[in-house]
Amino acid sequence: MFCDEALDAVEAIAAGEVMPDGRVASHLATCPNCASALESARQLETSLRQRPAPAAPAQFTARTLARVRRARWRSDQFVDIGFNLAIGAVVAAVVGGVWMLFHRTGLAAVSRDAADLFGSGFVVFARRVAPSLPLYAGAALLLVTALGIWWWAERDAAL
Amino acid sequence: MEDVHERELVERCRSGEEHAFQELVDRYKDLVFALIARTVGDRSRAEDLAQDVFLRIHRGLPYFRGEARLSTWIYRIVANVCLQEQTRPPAAASLDDERTHAKALAGTHDRQFGDFELRDRLEKAIARLPANYRLLIAAHYLQGVQYEGLADALQLPLGTVKTQLYRAKQQLRRMLETDLK
Repeated sequence: MFCDEALDAVEAIAAGEVMPDGRVASHLATCPNCASALESARQLETSLRQRPAPAAPAQFTARTLARVRRARWRSDQFVDIGFNLAIGAVVAAVVGGVWMLFHRTGLAAVSRDAADLFGSGFVVFARRVAPSLPLYAGAALLLVTALGIWWWAERDAAL
Repeated sequence: MEDVHERELVERCRSGEEHAFQELVDRYKDLVFALIARTVGDRSRAEDLAQDVFLRIHRGLPYFRGEARLSTWIYRIVANVCLQEQTRPPAAASLDDERTHAKALAGTHDRQFGDFELRDRLEKAIARLPANYRLLIAAHYLQGVQYEGLADALQLPLGTVKTQLYRAKQQLRRMLETDLK
C-alpha cells in the first residue's frame, strides 16, 4: 500500500462517503503523514460544513422585481419602436407604390384634373352652404343637448 | 407534492401573474444569493449577479419545458452566471468588510478569534480556487445539495462531479497547509 493510494481516498473518508477498508485503515494507522492528511481533511470538512450561508439582503425581492419591470418596459419599448418603424415602412412602400403606379400608367395627369375638379367643387359647395351655417350650428347644438339629456336620464335610471 | 407546487408556480409565472414571480424570487433568493456570494466572494457583486439570475429566469420561463426540476434549472443558470464571472479577478479581499467586523467583534476572546482567523484563511483559500471548484464547494455545502442535483445542473457525469469536488478539497487542504508553514 502506497501513500498516494491512501491520500486519494482521504477526502472521501473525511466526508464519510467511504469507510476505509482493511488495507487503507492499516496504512492510515501506521503512516503519520497520511494520518495527518486525514485529520486535516476532517477539519476542512467540518469548517466547510460550518461555513455560514449569507442570506439575501433586505429589499432584494423588491429590487429584483423593479429590475425585471424595467427590463420588460425596455423590451416593450423596443417592440413598439420596431412595430412603428415597420408600419411606417409599409405605409411608405404603399404610398410609393401607388405614386409609381400613377406615374407609370399616366393616371397622375388624370388625378391632377380630378383634384382640380374636386377642389373647385368644394369651393362652390362651401359658398352655397356658408349663409346657412348658423342654422346648421343651431340644429347641431339642439341635437347635442337632446343627446346629453338622454344620456343623463339613462345614467340616473341605471343608478 | 413539491414538484406539483413547483409546476403550478411555473404555470402561474408563465401566465404573467406578478405575485407568482415574486413568490418564486422569495423562495429561491437565499439559495441563489448564497451560492453566488460564496462563489464570487463579493456581496454587492453577488446581489447584481443574483438579480441577473432572476432576470434570466423571468426571460426563460416561457421556454422552460419542465423536463428538469425548477431548482436544477436555477442551479444551471447560477452556474452559467458564476462561470461567466470567471474572467473577473477573484475578489478575495471583498469579504474583508465582514471579516474585519467579525474580528472586531471577537475582541480578546481567543477561541472566537481563532475561529474567525480559520474562517478567514479558508475564505481566502477558496477565493484562490478555480471558479468551477468554488461553485462546487459553494453548492455542495449549501442546504445539503446532493451530487445528483449538482451533476444535473452542471450537465456533468456524477463521477466527474465527485472527482472535481475531491480535487477542490485537496487543493484547499494543500493551500491551508502551505499557509500554516
